Amino acid sequence: MNKFKHILAVCLTGMVMSSCSDSFLQLAPVSNPNAGNFFKTKADFDLASNAAYATLYTIYNPEGPVSYTGELMGDNVTILNISGNMADKWQFRDYTLAPANTMVYQFWQDFYRSLYNINIVLDKIETADVDAAYKDKVKGEMMFLRSLYYFQMVQIWGEIPLVTKPITAEESYGVLRSPVTEVYAQIVKDLQFAASKLPLASAAGAGKVSKGAAQALLGKVYLTMGDKTNAATALKEVVNSGQYQLLPSYATLWDAKTKNTKESIFEIQYLGGSSTAPFSDYYLGFFPNSNALGFYGSGMNQVVDDTWNEYETGDARRVASIDTGFTDAKGTFTKVKFPKKWQDKTAPIIGQRIAANNNFMVLRYADVLLLLTEATGDAQYLNQVRKRAGVPEFGTAAYPSKYSTIEAATEHERRVELAFEFQRWFDLKRTNRALTVLAAKGKSVSQAKLLIPIPNVVRDQNGKITQNAGY
Amino acid sequence: MNLYLPCLYPKYSRYISFVLLLFCFSQAIGQNRTVTGKITDETGKPVPGVSIVVKSTTTGTISNAEGAYNLSAPENATLVFSSVSYETQEIAINKRSIINISLLPSSKILNEVVVVGYGTQSKRAVTGAVASINNKQFQDRSFSNVAQSLAGQVAGVNISQAQGAPGSSPFIKIRGVSSITAGTNPLLVVDGVPLENFNLNMINPQDIESVEVLKDASSAAIYGSRGSSGVVIVTTKLGKAGKPSVSVNLEYGSQKVARQIEMMDAQQFIRTYVDAKNNAWIAAGGKATDGNALRPTLLKIPEDFLTNPQQFGAGTNWQDVMFRTAPMYNGQISVSGGTEKTQYMFSGAYLDQTAILDMNYYKRLALRSNVKTMVTDKLTIGLNLGVTSIFDRTEGTKGKSDVISLGLQSNPHFPVYNENGNLGYRDPNSTWFRFTAFGDMNLWHPYSLTREVDKGTKSFNTLGTAYLEYNILKNLKFRTSLSGNLFNTRNHFYWNDKQKYGYSAVLAAQANAGNSYMFNWLSENTLTYDKQIGDHSLTGLIGYTSQKQRDETMYVAANNFPNDLVHTLNAGTVTAGNTTASEWSLLSYIARLQYNFNNRYFLTGTIRRDGMSRFGDNNKWGYFPSVSAGWLISDEAFMSSLKNINNLKLRVSYGVTGNNQIPNYGAVSLLAASNYVYGSTMNNGLRVSSIANPNLKWEKTNMFNLGLDVGILNNRISGSVEFYNSLTRDMLLFVPVPDITGFSSQLTNIGKMRNRGIELNISTKNTVGEFKWTTDFNFSRNRNKVLQLGSGNAPIQYVDNVVTVRTEVGQPVSNFYGYIFDGVFKNQAEVDAYPHHASTTPGDPKVRDVNGDGKITDADRTIIGNNQPDFIAGMTNTFTYKGFDLSFMLQGSYGGEIANNNIRYLGTWDNGRNFYASMYNYWRSESDPGDGIHFKPNVSYQGLQKQFSSYWVSDASFLRMKNIRVSYAIPSKLLSKMNMKSARVYVNAENVFILSKYKDGYDPENTTYGTTSYSSSMETSGSYTSGNAPVPGAFQGVDYGSYPLPRVITVGVKVDF
Repeated sequence: MNKFKHILAVCLTGMVMSSCSDSFLQLAPVSNPNAGNFFKTKADFDLASNAAYATLYTIYNPEGPVSYTGELMGDNVTILNISGNMADKWQFRDYTLAPANTMVYQFWQDFYRSLYNINIVLDKIETADVDAAYKDKVKGEMMFLRSLYYFQMVQIWGEIPLVTKPITAEESYGVLRSPVTEVYAQIVKDLQFAASKLPLASAAGAGKVSKGAAQALLGKVYLTMGDKTNAATALKEVVNSGQYQLLPSYATLWDAKTKNTKESIFEIQYLGGSSTAPFSDYYLGFFPNSNALGFYGSGMNQVVDDTWNEYETGDARRVASIDTGFTDAKGTFTKVKFPKKWQDKTAPIIGQRIAANNNFMVLRYADVLLLLTEATGDAQYLNQVRKRAGVPEFGTAAYPSKYSTIEAATEHERRVELAFEFQRWFDLKRTNRALTVLAAKGKSVSQAKLLIPIPNVVRDQNGKITQNAGY
Repeated sequence: MNLYLPCLYPKYSRYISFVLLLFCFSQAIGQNRTVTGKITDETGKPVPGVSIVVKSTTTGTISNAEGAYNLSAPENATLVFSSVSYETQEIAINKRSIINISLLPSSKILNEVVVVGYGTQSKRAVTGAVASINNKQFQDRSFSNVAQSLAGQVAGVNISQAQGAPGSSPFIKIRGVSSITAGTNPLLVVDGVPLENFNLNMINPQDIESVEVLKDASSAAIYGSRGSSGVVIVTTKLGKAGKPSVSVNLEYGSQKVARQIEMMDAQQFIRTYVDAKNNAWIAAGGKATDGNALRPTLLKIPEDFLTNPQQFGAGTNWQDVMFRTAPMYNGQISVSGGTEKTQYMFSGAYLDQTAILDMNYYKRLALRSNVKTMVTDKLTIGLNLGVTSIFDRTEGTKGKSDVISLGLQSNPHFPVYNENGNLGYRDPNSTWFRFTAFGDMNLWHPYSLTREVDKGTKSFNTLGTAYLEYNILKNLKFRTSLSGNLFNTRNHFYWNDKQKYGYSAVLAAQANAGNSYMFNWLSENTLTYDKQIGDHSLTGLIGYTSQKQRDETMYVAANNFPNDLVHTLNAGTVTAGNTTASEWSLLSYIARLQYNFNNRYFLTGTIRRDGMSRFGDNNKWGYFPSVSAGWLISDEAFMSSLKNINNLKLRVSYGVTGNNQIPNYGAVSLLAASNYVYGSTMNNGLRVSSIANPNLKWEKTNMFNLGLDVGILNNRISGSVEFYNSLTRDMLLFVPVPDITGFSSQLTNIGKMRNRGIELNISTKNTVGEFKWTTDFNFSRNRNKVLQLGSGNAPIQYVDNVVTVRTEVGQPVSNFYGYIFDGVFKNQAEVDAYPHHASTTPGDPKVRDVNGDGKITDADRTIIGNNQPDFIAGMTNTFTYKGFDLSFMLQGSYGGEIANNNIRYLGTWDNGRNFYASMYNYWRSESDPGDGIHFKPNVSYQGLQKQFSSYWVSDASFLRMKNIRVSYAIPSKLLSKMNMKSARVYVNAENVFILSKYKDGYDPENTTYGTTSYSSSMETSGSYTSGNAPVPGAFQGVDYGSYPLPRVITVGVKVDF
């Protein structure tokens, strides 16, 4: 009998231990929040939309996709010695891009990861129990970001897969490249929604997308689509909103402490001074590839003499925009031209990087004014920009004769006013001037090469994705 | 025949026996006499417990504690001496009355005990594929990790030493690659405790009694969801009843780099550097004679290189600077013994190893106490406790940006010390400062990373198992055990201000400290039932186990140190810090039934049910069954006439195992911080960093195994052959998904893969007697083939910088994938005659137009290699004469390839880094075309020379003299005066030489990437040690800078009292 008691005891012990099994196996992540109970409250959506805004840091990174195409594929800059796999980076400058280029693939990933962060907010907020006004505001902000990215992508790649909601891997194989017109239709639709729901800049809050930002971008998009009428309408609404004006001094615009001014329409926000906040990497990214001053420059977007020479004599914008060299520890001066706009002289160096405070303006009033001249042919807007720069106005005798047409004048003005702000290549493409201008600068460019290749990884994974004609 | 007729009819005895001999081949016949004698083993020690039986009778006796025996037998009879661990001997009495014999250790090992999961088995009853390696096979070896000593000794187990640093664990692959992206490390079981990703360095090899490798699914199925990659069972020693035995072992060794990589000297480097710049300048339209004034910054050449390169002489060999001949000391003492009721083993060992790399070391103190005692007839308790601390500094194993790789990349024209005693040319007060004007000068002085850095790691491990066994009934035993494994490691790092200008940048002082902690507990409860009914024997086991682990990490960094006097973080300003934690838990039910009939027919069935926290809510639990059978053919009556066959056994098994080596929270959708600033305030943000998969389930492997064990010619030749076929399905893949989903990969159960192979083991006793020569040979061949992948069977491709690995259906896992280089275009005519990249000029690589479309495009990439060998083999020859023992082991691997990712830096121009000397015979001109393999260096890369191609891939086949051992046992006559039981002196040499075509790396076994193992720190930080490989396991066989395997020679003495 005694023996059976033992057996019974053992069996019971086993059963007691197994009864708590389910809870024993339910372990929630200790150090990562998990998505299971997220996307419920207003606070959740604040966090999620902040993360969506944070994708701007990737897309507009000094070594991000917009910089590589907007500047390096244009004629403003070059790269000499650059950190990382130089061959892949030179291919942008030299129009020798291969579908295997790792940067091209990186940029593809950057855009679609960013779009996911936007789409998930748009998807989840639709059914969330938050008030309608909040919902519209968040949706407007997200749609602005989505259209901004698709606008860059359609200019960079042409036809692209258009993803407007979170999709599964299975679904993704059926999402092929959409015609350019469909992409633009989506962009316009998103921006119209954003413009109708978002508050004016004065009410939007620093760094947030405003009605004016949506309208300004919409104007640029229309212009790129070749619709000057609608472009002019949208851009004039920005001008007439009374929310924006040019700052008196071009130099002040680039002061590291001057942020979110009246000239700014949409500005990416950085916070310098510590490694714990996202600081501004632009000056560092554009500093020559050297560590002579205790920080390591990446060597991106080195200014070519052609750009230096584009400035008219006496145009103060030149020295405000271009640095002409640096002095190392031994006092030796190295002559080299690189962008200066995002310099923060008082920023601390943390781990070989400058923790700079400068913001980055994606859209600013001078840009809008010049676009408006481009859309209307009316020089008055352009002349506001020139007046601020302290150079003779278009139509006056002192105005340089080589820019005799309003088109040539706008092209010149945009190049010097918006130098290194990732505009140049897109400007040339929008105005159908890219082939002429770039070929004259010695670039072996063709119409087909004005779109970069679809990464070969993408096509390896889904054979139904087509390649661009030039590759 | 058992006739005593001669006793009855002595007169006719001669005739009768003659007749009997003719017809019956019967034994000789004689009168009874008393026979006495002493039985000893080969070393002369008495062997108690030997059964001595008069052949063909039941008459017999057993030897006593002194090995002596005494029995009465017919004077012409034959005595049969048999014992479990010795060869059975038959000796005719031949009218003698004293017969002393020496028994040889048994090679008919059927009665040897083999440790299997949750119990032991006699070798006879083993029905799966289990390899058992006892202490004898790794004693005297100088490795800190027992697995290193097993390399080349076990068929089907590929043990490769990826990094040669002290304490660096080898990779163990059992029967091929069992998974594509989940972990492939076998489960380690130490004294019954299953441990994931346990560092075997924590167990002193000389404390280990045996290592068993469970290779097939039926043996591993008892470990269920963790058995797919095989199981390695390590069992530590326990004393035997008898007088205490004290064993002392002292060792001294010397380690040296076996072979340096030949790098260019200063003169060769300068010429190549100048050519690379001129080639680019000429391509841009310039002339080689143009001075710096005419050239762009990137193509300027230091004046010294042109005007007076001779001033630099041969320059510095940075490998001489960083490597040294390093000593190692190893001492250990153990005491073991016990009574019938209590047995114990205590040991302590200290290893002090200076590494071949400057400033590096490895010190280990290992203490162990194993005690077992019978409290009552029914109750036995025991405790195994191992405490190990390791203090080490190990660098150079992390690839491209670690000391060794950086040393190789450093320019040879720089001196070890400049005129100010500083290390580098960035010293503003040095004449060498002139080189700072050139952005492509490279110097990562090894000392700037070794002597200018104060760093080290201290690790502590405690592994303890307490157990209780209770015999509830005569045949029913209950066992419960509680185990704990506590691991703590902390590291510190301080980098001196300015590093004596020896680093690639002049950096301010910085420091960090980190700590990680792991605690794993396991509770196991089993019931075992044994029953013998006639010829039927039955053993049943049921059990329930639960296990849980928690990992925690901590990291703090500081800078802004006032000076280099204080290296702890309190002297600076803390700039960063974080802590993380991660957990998993596992519940299991196990059952096993073993049956045999007549000890000749064996049948085993097992099942395990595992539930684990890592898996999705819809698939938390999985079942892992197995069945196996064995037939000992040689024990059949019909075999008795075949005297030459001593052992013949057929085994067949089939089972299912699983793989759980995925991230702890792989099934959960995680959020990660992604903050954004508005105005002047930072705002928290959270983004989705991984997608949820509630269906995530176990990867399962079904394996069939067929084995045959053979022993013939009195076991002079013995061996086994195994055939297996395994099919892995529902593979846990980080399947690359189209990036338009917002993610690059997703952990999914998808796809199928097959591993199929044969294994062969042969042991021969070539000579017996006083001079003994034995040969142990093993051979294994595994064929790996992917049968099915994710959606549309899309290939899985991973890229780390340049090297591309691709897994596709119909191919083995992780092929190298790139272009084929067919040498160099020697002249313009050759360029014109063949498809080429637009920028190609004479001297550039000729890329094969694989698809024949007349263009060189990315469609010309193809399979250019795979690291998996066609076969591996090992052979050990042992010679014994009197007290001398000599053995040498050859280890070989054939048919695999290695991808040298360092070609990127050292095999082509890369921003002025030094080059392999092998490259020096590059194309210079049409009249001086070089070796036809190496293209002309060019600062502006031409063609596809920086793309992954066959230029980066080498044959990884090798034949290695892995080990030579010589030992001498001092004769017992001498020892007895000194109260010693035995004493041996020995010399051991590891990695003696290697034959290999891989010359631009240190060793064809080098792999910079670890096997895939998901530790908590990796999950939370998302960072990998080397490169950017998303799945390191897929990059096996990629060398991106490695630590050379040293040649180690040790001398030692071992004394038992």
